[in-house]
Amino acid sequence: MRTYLIDAEKNELIIDLTKTLVHSKELIEFEFSTLQDNEIVHRENIFVRKLAGRYFASNDQKNWVKLAPQNLPKKFLNVDRVFDIYRGFKPSGLSDGNDGELLTQMPGKVVKILVATGDEVVEGQTLVILEAMKMENEIKAGLDGVVKNIHVSVGDALDQGVLMLELE
Amino acid sequence: MSIRLKENKARRILIANRGEIAARIAKACRELGHTAIGLWTDNEVHARHLEFCDEWAHLEGTGNTETYLNQDKIIKIAKELKVDAVHPGYGFLSENGGFAEALSNNDIIFIGPHIEAIKIMGDKATSKTLAKESGVPVVPGSADAVKSVAEAIKIAEEIGYPVLLKAVAGGGGRGMRACADENEIKEQFEAVGRESMAAFGNGDLLVEKLVLNPRHIEVQILADKHGNVFHFFERECSVQRRHQKIVEEAPSPFIGDDEELRQKICQTAVKLSKAVKYDSAGTVEFIMAEDKSFYFLEMNTRIQVEHPITEEITGMDLIVCMIQSALGEDLQIPSQDFITRSGHAIECRICAEDPITMLPAPGVVTGFETNFPQGIRFDNCLFKDLEVTPDFDPMVGKLIAKGVVRDVAIRKMESALEGLYIEGLKTNIPLHKIILANQNFRDGNYSTSFIGVEKPQEQITNNIDYTSFYMKLAGIEARRMGL
Repeated sequence: MRTYLIDAEKNELIIDLTKTLVHSKELIEFEFSTLQDNEIVHRENIFVRKLAGRYFASNDQKNWVKLAPQNLPKKFLNVDRVFDIYRGFKPSGLSDGNDGELLTQMPGKVVKILVATGDEVVEGQTLVILEAMKMENEIKAGLDGVVKNIHVSVGDALDQGVLMLELE
Repeated sequence: MSIRLKENKARRILIANRGEIAARIAKACRELGHTAIGLWTDNEVHARHLEFCDEWAHLEGTGNTETYLNQDKIIKIAKELKVDAVHPGYGFLSENGGFAEALSNNDIIFIGPHIEAIKIMGDKATSKTLAKESGVPVVPGSADAVKSVAEAIKIAEEIGYPVLLKAVAGGGGRGMRACADENEIKEQFEAVGRESMAAFGNGDLLVEKLVLNPRHIEVQILADKHGNVFHFFERECSVQRRHQKIVEEAPSPFIGDDEELRQKICQTAVKLSKAVKYDSAGTVEFIMAEDKSFYFLEMNTRIQVEHPITEEITGMDLIVCMIQSALGEDLQIPSQDFITRSGHAIECRICAEDPITMLPAPGVVTGFETNFPQGIRFDNCLFKDLEVTPDFDPMVGKLIAKGVVRDVAIRKMESALEGLYIEGLKTNIPLHKIILANQNFRDGNYSTSFIGVEKPQEQITNNIDYTSFYMKLAGIEARRMGL
């Protein structure tokens, strides 16, 4: 799972969940890495455990921090910067720089397909609208090109990493 | 069987305010057995303070002028709901003599002082005149505009250098110049006059003593309708930005152990309050020079934001007393000697603002949690999903720490700031942490220029905290996985 954190000045942090280890019913270990220009700038393992109905997190299993109760926060704060959170996809206006293959970054349902095979598209153009986490997410073209193949249709429920569309 | 000291008639009290102070007043009303009536506006439908009220009323409109500043609408609601009294809180209509007058014309009690006191103290000139007449020290200077350089020098020699050349019509720091000696007056006099003429269309100048590194010290007053005036010791509020206080403490570290000085400043405040026949809760503000001489600044004829620190050190409930006083009831304080203080209290105002630029930063609270040490009071109206709008003041809460001595209060406050999690919007919590860690603050060695000189905002590190991001994401993932 990839998470994009983008602040008001369009500065972005890309955090990847690279590993998940379920130790027990109460303890899960996650490995996160932060990418900058495709280079890992920071990597750390975080343990989460549930105690008395609350989540506690730690990076050393010694000091546990109680996590504020929030289901799916839309914002993260870092001192004087508020980041918008985009889980699994990048918001409009910011290209993902992918090659012609459009994969789902998160499980979701196809709501609308805005192009047909053979259409010419430009970078940033919305191709597919995917409903995930009760939100409609616009999936955009990462490059200028022509739609070569469409592998999905409206109403399809997709898993993560499914090929939806190919550009040329 | 419950025991009540005295049966008082239950009243209907309208709270013409919002946020934490509305909640605070509602709690006091309920404690006294009165009915608390809260208001909500169109831009604040999920107002937290309503939870503490017994009845709610809709105040139509969105902006301040349409709502809490709109006398006509509030009086109309008060009449419709047949309220006995209105508590204005602080800000908004709390120091509006016209509002108090309009209420009294409708036979509704204004919970605050009598109209005359609001009017006299609300005007800089009349309040200064009254202070002088009552023997309360005001900043020495010329009574009227000075005509010439020679006259300015004569006055400056009487009051002592340095002095401030100040435009009669001035304000906001313009048309003001500090002069250290005779030569500087000669050099500056005409220039300041010209500048004032250009800026305000009035070139008249005043000469006033310049108080270097002043401390902002204020005395809490509580009076009843039977002529009793009590003081509740002093507060020091020298940490200010844009002339707004952000950290306050009681008692003043500058006065410290000097009980004689403490008595002197408190008695001066009582003297002024008696002169205006004060009959409610109020605050007399002073500036104190480095040589511990003090001068009257103004009197706030309302409850103040920072009243909890006084409540913490005296153990009194000022809001309850203020309501009792307005209803003409007995305050149940036999004499001044019964008001004692112990320990030290500090308040940090928690505002939704950028900690570095100190500008308001509206947003939505996505997560809120507290984990405080013993001895912490947090007056707030925060909740998850609270939307902080640009319409209202960015203050979302007041964190108050009490300790047996100042060092303990600081330690508790530091711990409390660490345990206050507000997610989703910027707050000045990082700024408070830097201020509390500042050596001059810890030594109690600071004046109103603290923020300007120490620049704590520049010491805030805003490095990306990867671990904190990872932990938040891990929490989301764990929940998604059904842990």
